Amino acid sequence: MLKFRINDIDVEAEPGWTVLETAREYGIEIPTLCFHEAVQASGACRLCMVELREGDWTKLVASCVYPAKDGLNVYTESERITNVRRWIFEMLLSECPASQEIRDMAAKYGVTSTRFAIKDPEQDCIMCGLCTRVCAEVVGVHAIATQSRGVYKRIGSPFMKPNEACVACGSCVSVCPTGAMARRIDLVRGKMEENQTNAA
Amino acid sequence: MSTAPKVGVFLCECGDKIKGNVDMGLLAQKVVETPDVAFCKTMPYPCLKPGIAGIKKAIADAGLDRIVIAGCSRRLMMKKFENEMKDSGLDVGQIAMVNLRDHVALVHPGLEPAQRAEKGVKLIRSSVADLAAMVPGLRFQISIEKPVLIMGDGIATYAAAQQFARHGVESIMALSLDDEEEIRLLHERYPGERQNFGRVRNIMKAVEESPLVQRITVGDPIAKNGKTGNYSVSFENPEGGAPIAVEAGLIMACLDGEMESPGPEFGHNGDSVICQSEADEHLWTVGPYKGNVVFWINDVEAGTPEFAHLSMRGAWSLGRAMVERSDKCNVTIFHNQDTPLPLSAEERRISRKLGIQWVAYDGKICPTVQARNLTYLVKDDGLERELPWDQLILSPVRVVGRHAIDVASLLNLDHKEGRFLRAYHAQVRPENVGRKEAILAGSAAYPCDLSQALAQGRRAAIKVAETIDLSKDGKLFSPAIVSVIDLEKCIGCGQCEELCECGAIQVVEGIGGAFGRAVDPLICTGGGTGAAACPEQAMYLQNASTIQREAAAGALAKELAPGEVAAFGCTWGGYAAADNVAKSGLAMDPRLHMIYVPCVGQIDATVMAKALLDGANGVILFGCVPEECHHSYGVDHGWSRVNMLKKLLALAGFDRKRIALAHADFNNPEGFVKTVEGYTEIIAGMEPIERSPQNLEKLHAIYDTTKNSRVRLLLSAALRRPWESVYRGAQRHALEYDQEFAGVLAEEFAQTRLTRALKAQGEPQTIKDLAVHLDADKDYIAEMLMEMASEGKVNMIHKQRKAHFMV
Ligand code: SF4
Ligand code: SF4
Ligand code: SF4
Ligand code: SF4
Ligand code: FES
Repeated sequence: MLKFRINDIDVEAEPGWTVLETAREYGIEIPTLCFHEAVQASGACRLCMVELREGDWTKLVASCVYPAKDGLNVYTESERITNVRRWIFEMLLSECPASQEIRDMAAKYGVTSTRFAIKDPEQDCIMCGLCTRVCAEVVGVHAIATQSRGVYKRIGSPFMKPNEACVACGSCVSVCPTGAMARRIDLVRGKMEENQTNAA
Repeated sequence: MSTAPKVGVFLCECGDKIKGNVDMGLLAQKVVETPDVAFCKTMPYPCLKPGIAGIKKAIADAGLDRIVIAGCSRRLMMKKFENEMKDSGLDVGQIAMVNLRDHVALVHPGLEPAQRAEKGVKLIRSSVADLAAMVPGLRFQISIEKPVLIMGDGIATYAAAQQFARHGVESIMALSLDDEEEIRLLHERYPGERQNFGRVRNIMKAVEESPLVQRITVGDPIAKNGKTGNYSVSFENPEGGAPIAVEAGLIMACLDGEMESPGPEFGHNGDSVICQSEADEHLWTVGPYKGNVVFWINDVEAGTPEFAHLSMRGAWSLGRAMVERSDKCNVTIFHNQDTPLPLSAEERRISRKLGIQWVAYDGKICPTVQARNLTYLVKDDGLERELPWDQLILSPVRVVGRHAIDVASLLNLDHKEGRFLRAYHAQVRPENVGRKEAILAGSAAYPCDLSQALAQGRRAAIKVAETIDLSKDGKLFSPAIVSVIDLEKCIGCGQCEELCECGAIQVVEGIGGAFGRAVDPLICTGGGTGAAACPEQAMYLQNASTIQREAAAGALAKELAPGEVAAFGCTWGGYAAADNVAKSGLAMDPRLHMIYVPCVGQIDATVMAKALLDGANGVILFGCVPEECHHSYGVDHGWSRVNMLKKLLALAGFDRKRIALAHADFNNPEGFVKTVEGYTEIIAGMEPIERSPQNLEKLHAIYDTTKNSRVRLLLSAALRRPWESVYRGAQRHALEYDQEFAGVLAEEFAQTRLTRALKAQGEPQTIKDLAVHLDADKDYIAEMLMEMASEGKVNMIHKQRKAHFMV
């Protein structure tokens, strides 16, 4: 058993648990975005940042990947954390302004505008990679990938239709935190009949 | 295993998502009161490490042998739970999930937390009943000791055999050609690949020298019998005489596609206009052509743009060989501008050096073949141009030849007319794909070049060798959920075999020498199509049986209030759409209660009847959108069964709308929500079925009729086959079939009721008694009884000079 503190509450954890998992077990909620219970955590979005304090030394870590350790002093709602969160939400608003889900989430934390420049007003994908991870880890087919402009379909060779691995399970749509995948899935899954088109 | 099942239920709080919307205290209390629930615990997050540790501890402490997790989407979470629970002794099938969060907590804004808890309890009880009804079946252990048989004459045979030898696995190559003939065929089947023939010869040599590879010369295959580990295949004897029989542990098919000449619209004449296979032969027997040689990559125009890159590669290497051998020919490769150049940087350099021309045309207008000229357009220019040619070489038409089709069907590698063997693949998760991918190699599976064909042979051999290694270590087991056939009940009707897409079903000797069927558990993917269709219910899906589904449907139906609806949703359509309702911020009619099924085609008609019998006033099946079913035509099968139930409802005087089939797309939750509301409104608008003795008698008779062999056989025979291309199947005259089926149903339904009535009364009955009892027409009853008497289903005696009947 590891013993440490979250928001001045004593908590216990087994080796291998993360700070986020421990916090949740004690009913302490930390906002997350690129984390999903079904897949490995990747620590990409940084929204789940928490503050570690020791004396006057403090540091910020992503709680979804940071392992629980003896003697930690974790704060999930400190001023520093609230600021970082605001900052991340502003970044997100500038990166994927087209996502209502992100706007709603930001508003919940009091962020409704961004001081950063909006790159692409149409963009709704934050490239958290949840869709690709669930497709690979849970579905087991690697049908999609992320690149600089969002999600695209991974195909073996230009017309090798049967290589198109998507099985149209919708898992990616279910895990996408921004709703972007719902708008992209039709490009990925194609129609059943097309996936099986004859070639003779 | 006769100890009572011990079901544990774990309730997710999921942060505030469930806890904040559902009265967890009430929920837990009601779950604990449920029969068969041995343990119940509410947890913050059962799916995170702390939660998983908690579940494992509970399994160990309370001796649980099956668990329900009431949380969220099983599509996302089940794999994690199954993996984590393995070392706690729970196998696939022993874990169930209820989507409390997305089907209850987040989608019913109009309900109070306590009402949500009430609904959650109903779903959980249904799931508990399903698990409790399970008779756990163990995974079958399979041993493979005999060699692997490689058949089909494809060039990948050699690569596969070489790979087997490397793994120390014995193989038998059954070929009808010798090495030289195989090489000669390559010119035809893999044109432009001569530079790779050296490699093929090396492989042939290595294989010949290997003591692990045995080669036999055979004619056409005749028959295949047996299952994984124990196959026997017979071939015609090329020298005449008795057929050649081969015993094998596993069979692999190496099949090459064939090339045909393009049609007259491209001017093919076998002389000045030929195709690549012919050009290849000419090049190596006669020599390069002289003058302007034009390769027209006409795949786009021929309707197969997906093979244009292969034809380009073929043209490139043939063209290159021609100019390298003769300075009297100019090669031009003429291709659609949408087809990208398939050359590496180095090859581009060589191409420039050799002076090979690449001309891209605009596909807006199909180029036209004229004597010595091709007319065409280029991009952004209206000017019609001409390309002069002396020899025109077209792309070949790639097809699956007769021989390949025969071998494929012998091995149950399903084939659709006009399609490559792998082009038709079920859209399911990898663990649910049959064995096809692992035992098939070569360009008949899907057009490819020679290196790819060889690589496929090697890859398939590696997979097969891994399977054999597992078997040697005693670790080769079937999946937990597979179909099993009870030979005592099987009548050998063959319905399951025709409906199974995986090719898992084999003919075996049944009881008393009759032909029965057996399932190869290593091929079966647990789709359940055959089990739901079996007229005798001889086939069942172990660890996910119809009995379990009936228990789930019954348990739910018992809990439903009059205006509420029982639903079944499939992984891909209905259940997934429901999972996504909350995500889209929508609400769902709370009167719908959905039970999960892998595929709508797995729901036996008995399950639907059971729901109606046990209290549901409306039952709806949510499958995929037509033609989007991921299994072979589960939704079509659902359609047939729902329509049978409608007929039975009508016969019994109930409203046909009490059962319905609907389609759903996971990415259209709005549409799904609307369909749900439409149906719940219909049911809520009807008076509930009064559960009077008379009505219960009829509902019982409906249920019994769904078990009737004659009815089931007729229903199965009309189900859409894997090879049929029309929704709901096309093999019959729609109206005639339906009328005949309706007639049989009416007869069997009436007879079922009479039999039940006679049994219930216990003493001989007159026609009048029965007519009154069943509230039916006297003459019709008389007619039925006479028929039943002539078939020996009832006995007629005379008492007080009146005919009396008894069973
Ligand atoms: S589509 Fe959604 S899940 Fe995928 S990377 Fe973008 S935001 Fe993340
Ligand atoms: S729908 Fe296709 S891309 Fe999305 S998770 Fe499923 S297989 Fe992957
Ligand atoms: S299984 Fe699903 S509902 Fe349960 S805690 Fe995990 S994410 Fe939430
Ligand atoms: S459908 Fe049933 S009775 Fe018919 S062959 Fe298959 S298992 Fe036997
Ligand atoms: S949720 Fe932890 S980094 Fe995204």
